[in-house]
This record gives sequence, C-alpha cells and structure tokens, in this order.
Amino acid sequence: MKKNLITIVIAAVLVVIFALLLFTFQVRQSEVAVLTTFGKPAANNIDQPNLYFKWPWPIQQVYRFDQRVQNFEDKYSENLTSDNTMLLTSVYVGWRISDAKEFFPKFAGGSVEAAQRQLETMLRSAKAAVIGKHNLSDFVNADTKQLKLESIEDEIKAAVQGELASQNYGISIEFLGVKKLGLPESVTQPVFDRMKSERTVLISEAQFKGEAEATKIKSAAERQAADVIANAQADATRIEGAGVAEAAKTLSVFQQNPELAIFQLQLQALKSSLNQKSTLIFDERTPPFSLFQNLPANSK
Amino acid sequence: MERNIQKNGLVNLAVAVLIFLAGFGVTVFAGSLAGQVTSIFLGLGVIVAGISWFQMRLEENERSEKLELDELARSRGQSLFESKDGGSFPAQNARLQFEKYFVPGFTVLILLLEAGGAWLLWNWSGKNTAGLKEANATASLSLFAIFALLLFLIGRFSVTIARLENHRLLRPSASFLLAGAYVCALTSLAIAGDEAKFPRADFWVARGLCGLLALMALENLLTLLLEIYRPRVKGKIARPLYESRVVGIFAQPESLFTTAAQTLDYQFGFKVSETWFFQAAQKNLAALLLIQFAALILSTTIVFVDVGEQAVLEHFGKPVATLNPGAHFKLPWPMDKIYRFRTEQIQSFAVGYTPDAQSESANTILWTVSHNKEENFLVANRATVNSATVSSGTNDSTKAQAVGLITVSIPVQFQITNVTDWAYKNNAPDALLKDLATQEVIKYFAGIDLNDVLSQGRLQAAEVLRARIQAASNARSLGAKIIFVGLQDIHPPTASDVAATYEKVVGAQQTKLAKILDAQAGAIRLSAVSGAAAFTITNVADAKRVQLVSSKFAEAGLFTNQIPAFEAAPDVYRQRLYLQSFADATKGARKYVLLVTNTSDVVIFNLEDKIRDDLLNLSITNTP
Repeated sequence: MKKNLITIVIAAVLVVIFALLLFTFQVRQSEVAVLTTFGKPAANNIDQPNLYFKWPWPIQQVYRFDQRVQNFEDKYSENLTSDNTMLLTSVYVGWRISDAKEFFPKFAGGSVEAAQRQLETMLRSAKAAVIGKHNLSDFVNADTKQLKLESIEDEIKAAVQGELASQNYGISIEFLGVKKLGLPESVTQPVFDRMKSERTVLISEAQFKGEAEATKIKSAAERQAADVIANAQADATRIEGAGVAEAAKTLSVFQQNPELAIFQLQLQALKSSLNQKSTLIFDERTPPFSLFQNLPANSK
Repeated sequence: MERNIQKNGLVNLAVAVLIFLAGFGVTVFAGSLAGQVTSIFLGLGVIVAGISWFQMRLEENERSEKLELDELARSRGQSLFESKDGGSFPAQNARLQFEKYFVPGFTVLILLLEAGGAWLLWNWSGKNTAGLKEANATASLSLFAIFALLLFLIGRFSVTIARLENHRLLRPSASFLLAGAYVCALTSLAIAGDEAKFPRADFWVARGLCGLLALMALENLLTLLLEIYRPRVKGKIARPLYESRVVGIFAQPESLFTTAAQTLDYQFGFKVSETWFFQAAQKNLAALLLIQFAALILSTTIVFVDVGEQAVLEHFGKPVATLNPGAHFKLPWPMDKIYRFRTEQIQSFAVGYTPDAQSESANTILWTVSHNKEENFLVANRATVNSATVSSGTNDSTKAQAVGLITVSIPVQFQITNVTDWAYKNNAPDALLKDLATQEVIKYFAGIDLNDVLSQGRLQAAEVLRARIQAASNARSLGAKIIFVGLQDIHPPTASDVAATYEKVVGAQQTKLAKILDAQAGAIRLSAVSGAAAFTITNVADAKRVQLVSSKFAEAGLFTNQIPAFEAAPDVYRQRLYLQSFADATKGARKYVLLVTNTSDVVIFNLEDKIRDDLLNLSITNTP
C-alpha cells in the first residue's frame, strides 16, 4: 500500500511537471514572444516578462525571440571610393527585433542567422553605394574637420533602415559603426614601400646634413686658424719692422766713419756669400796670396 | 495458463518501430543532438525486438512440430520415427540454423551499429554548431516525455512478464524498451536544460549517450569473443547472444542491488544484504529518489552570490532584484531564476591584436619582431600630403598617398557598473563593447597624423580613447565603466621591414650627430694648433726683433770703438780687418791660387762636381 502511494506521488509529480511544461510558458525581460494558434499568430506580441498559459502543442505554439540589441559584423569587403582608391571596410550593426510577429514568418522560423544574412546583403549594397560617393580623404584625414567617417556611417545606416522599412521586416537598426578600415594587399605593399621611402628620405637627410654640418664646422675652423696664423704673421712682421726701426737708430753711429762702415759691411757680405761649396780662383796679386809674388821661384 | 509470448514480442516490436520513427521525426524537428543518439538507440531496439520475435516464432514452430510428432508416434507406433535423419525435423533445423548463423550475424550488425553510431555521433556533436531549434524545443521535449512514458509502461510490463515467467527471449526487447524510456526522458531533460539556458545541456547528454553506446559495443564484442570459448553443454539453454547486460542494468537499476549484495556478502563474510539498512534502502528506493528530487528542488531556493559577483533575480522572467554577495532565498526553480555577473572583477579585451602566449613570454619587445598577431590600422599622413603638394602643385595626386599604416596594441579594462543594463539592453554586451572600442580606435587614427601619434601624440591618445570609449558605451547603455585604456604598443608595421626602416632613421641621426661632433673636435684641435702656431710666429718675430736690435746696438758699440783704431792706422787696420775676414770667409771654400807669370797661357780648370762617389772614393771603416 505504501509502495503504491509512493508510485502515485511520483506519477503525480511527473504529471504536474509535464502539465506545466505543456500548458505554461515564461517570457523573460530580454525576450519577446509570439503565440500562434494552429499556426495563426496572435494580434499582439508578448513583450512583458511573466508566466503565461497556453494550450499544448499542436494547438498553440510559442515562438520566442531576443528583443535586446544584437550586433553582428559584416564581411571585410573591398569597395571603390570616388577618387578610385580600393578601400577595405567592415561595419558592425546593432539591430533589434522591433515587431516579432512580422519578423518570424519572414525568416525561416524566426531564425536570427537568416535575418543577419538578409541584413548583411542589404548592408553590403548600401556600403558600396555610400563608399563610392566619398573620397579616401573623407575616411582618413589628419584634418579632423574634413574627416567624414561619422556621416558615412549615418548614410549607410539610413540606407539600410530605408530598405528595412520598405519591406517591414520587423527589424530596426539601432546603430552602425565602422569596425575595420584597410587597404587591399596589392595596395598595402606599395604603402609599406612608400613609408619606407619616406624614412629613406629622412635617413639621407640626416646623413648628408651631418656631412654638410661637419664640413661647415671644419671649414670654419680652418678659416679661423688661417686668420689666427695670418694675424700672427702680420704681428711678426710688425714686430720685426719695429726691430729694424729700432736697429736703424744705430746707423748714425756708422755714419761717423762711412768708409769703415762700408768696408765692414763688405766684409760681412763676403763672409755671408761664401760657403763650403764655393770655389775661388785667385791669382798672385790678391792679398794675402800676393805674398807669393816675392817667392824666389817667381822672381827668377 | 501459459502466456503466448509471441504476442508480447510482436507488441514490443511494433512499439519499438513506432517510437523509433516518431523519435527520429521529432529529432529532425527539434535539431537535438541527444535526440540523434536516442534515435540510434531506438533503432537498435527495433533490431533486437525483431530478432527476438523471429526467434520466438521459430521456437514456437519447433514446439508445434514436436507436439505433432509425439502425437503421431503415439498413434502409429515408435518404429516409424526411429530415424535420426535431420530432415525429419525441419522446424528444429530452422531454429538451429538461425541460432547458428543468423543470430551471430545480427549481433555483429548490432555491434557495428553501436560502435559506428557512437563514433560518428561523438564527432558530429563536436562539429555541429547549429544547436536546438528554439521554436520547436517545447513541443519536442513534451513529445520525448510522452515517448518515455509509453516506453516505460510497455517496457516495465514486458520486463515483469519476462522475469515472472522466465521468458528469456522476451527479456532483450523488454530491457531495450525500458532503457529506451530512460533515454527518451534524458533527451527530454536535455532539451529542457537548453531551454533553461544551462550551457550546452543537449550536447553533454548526447556525449553521455554516445558513451553508453560505446559501452554497449564493448560489451557486445566481449560477448562475441567469449561465445567462441563457451562450453556447449547439451540440454542447457543459452542466453540470447544479442541480449545486452549493460542495457539490462540501465533499464533495471534495482537489479544492481542483487549484484552489490552478493559482492558485499562475499567481501565481509556475513549477510550484509540482510541488515536493516540494506533492506530499508532496497525497499524504499523510490521514496529515496523522491526525497532526493524534493531536496534538489529545495536546494534551488537558496542562492549564494560570490564575492565580486552580482546576480539578477527574475520572477517568472521579470527582473525583481539585484542580489549582492551573500546568501539569499528565492522561490524554487523554475519560478525564480538568477543570472550571475562578475561586476567587481576587472575584465579586459584587446584591440588591434590577438594575444599570443608564446610571444608575450618574451622578455624583450621590439618593433622589428612581431610579438602578437597584429592588425594594421589606417592613419593619416600629413607629411606625405605636404611634400607631394609642394612638388606637384596640386592636391589631387596626393589623396591616395595621404595614408599610412600603423600597428597598435591596446588593452582595454572595464567593470560592469549597472548589471541590469548589462544584462537586458544588449544581446552580447561584451562583444559590443569591443566593437565600440575598435570603432573609436579606428576613428582616432583616421584623424591623426602618423608622425604625431608616433611621437608626442601618444601621450594624450590613451586618455582621449578612454573618454571616447566610455562615451560610446554610455550612449549604448551598456552599464560598463572603462577603467583603463593602454597604448602599450604603437609602431609602424613589422611587415616588409617598415619598422626596421624607422629604426635606421634613428641610426642615421646618430651618425649625423657623430659626424658633427667629430668636426667640432677637429675644429677645436685646429683652433688650438693655429693659436699655438700664431703664438710661435709672433714670439719668433719678437726674438728676431730683439736679436736684431741687440746685434745692431752691439755692432754700433763695436764700431764706435773701432773708429779710433781705424783713424790711427787706416791702412793697417783696414788690411787687418780684410785678412781676418778673408780667412774666416774662405775657410770652407775650395780655393785655387794661380801663380803664373806668363799671362798669355791658357789654364783650364775642370770645376765640375762629381755626380756621385765611386768605389775608389769610399772610405771603408772597420767596425768591431
């Protein structure tokens, strides 16, 4: 009897659990639900969190959706700007299900993946159209006043929103932003090369400016040295001149007997002009060799 | 009254086929991984039920044949049927042939299905990323629960019949049906778990059931191997080869008590199985399970929020409170649910690079060596625009050149400050925050000059970026506070030696400086030397001056003294001076004195110098 009671309790618990699973459903704060009766959706979405009752499947069925903002990133794709530059861009989009009962029949059982695929298709089209209207300088510019990234984002968002509104997908775009910006590989390499060339200019500038600066310093130093030497030589000449002038004061002494003075000067000149390599040929009349005239051999 | 078990076998087969088909359909409907393994399990049940039913029919035919033969023997005499020819017992021969060839064959087929199913579904579950179809989940779990109930009722009935009346051929299919009921219930729970946001409940249950299939395959293989060496005792009825003990234990876990009791009795040497505790546990197993279930439900009424966490309490899906660290009471699951968030913990993500553990362990970080998986960002390049504009005189040709590429590594750290906003405003707030940060980084670099950001601009970049990311986060109501934005690495791309070229500029600047310093050193040296030379020149001149003046004054003094001597004896004094000077002056000169009387003679002197000394002129000296 006791065993039967326990069995009945277990069976009752199981029945209650199954009944709750079949006849009730919860909707969370983050969710919105659509209740269908024999496949026909109810007039209003269930967007308030609570416990709700329903008839079991297949009479009624609940479709739940996340009503929070969902974000996804499109493919990193290449587009042509108006100044014929190939630009790679990727944008991320924040979107939400604005009307669940419009949303779920349009995307295979309310598949978020299917919706994102559809959004991506629209996004790529809108992105290509908007990028084609702008120059590269609108995307990248050191002058922030000319940078138009935010307005480009707004243009893409407006284009996608317009497309969504025209077909009433039950989706709204909350925000959109550029997540990646780049150049294709074939352009990236030349940009690398150009960046290297810029550096090479700086390298050359540094090298040759260094040499020029060094040459200037050396020549200035040499010029200064020449100045110093020249000044010194001029000073030396002046000093020597002063010496000569001072020495000239002694000439009056020599003027007392010019004959003797001139004779002495001749003797000094004689001394100075003869050196070891000089060859002198004298005859017997030249003193002191005149002594040879009175020799016996000569008198004979 | 003996029950006709063929009918039970047929019912089991029919139920197995129906539930298998329905289960397969619901699995496709729900996209459940656990449902796929369950379908394999139910399919195996169909094969086992089919074989056992066919074998029952053969045994029944054999029994009818034997009865007919016995009847004939009694009416016509024994002699007519003394022949031992096998052809006289076609039903018996058919059963023997079936047991000898078909049963092992089917068992091998079951083994292959079990092993293949386990292997394929294990791999498939690892690769499959589709997940459950949420819209169909509730209906699917209800259907699996209904299948479980049906299989339980019929399986339980068959197991009881097989045990009470000892129908060995009914036992395998009955066990499979009962085990199928539990497998369906598990699948139903797995789908419910996924619905309740337990992480990958369906996946893990599928993996567990794959393990069960693998275990069954292993047992089947062992049974087949042992069958080869099993002694064939005449008259002893063999256990059906396709009957799984693993399935039997899974279907009837209470049979484990018997096995466990026998083991304990043997181990302890007395009847443990007769103690009151063991008896009570065996009798009240169902009540214990019920209490366990109640305890499980009650345990969901107490919540412990850990340090550094906050939890959002939902009552029927509606957030009613934010729970801080500590113990909290709530209504049992699924009425109240909590969702935990690490609000105190500083969380981080990276912009511009993917951290690489191997590269990050390096002690030295260089521009020229890639230290992470780095991305390149477009950055404006004012220098290029200016130089090209000057050279070409137009701005159009410079547009494509007005960009550079830069590599940045920016770690961003944040805390969750408003858990409600974080949980309910965005589907994936952490991913969105990273997207926002990346967007702000791109915008920042797109509007700043390459050389500015590499030099003085980086000082303010981190603070500007932090403020911008915070503003973007606030605009999206993320409920996060940006704690830190670090510009730990900004440099030209490592690829194609761009960064290396930047380093060469620094080298060239150093070389330039070295050349200038060398020139300055030379200038200093030259200045000093020229100064010294100038000093020497002036000093030499001064010395000459002094010498000149002194000598002239001395000569004047001498002359003054010579005048009286000259005036006293002019000729003698003149001649004396002449001869003294002559001797001094011609002392080193070569002198020829020509003493001739006949002046008409021509004397020829060879005054040529010898160009070089010859051997005869060499003076050889001996040196020790």
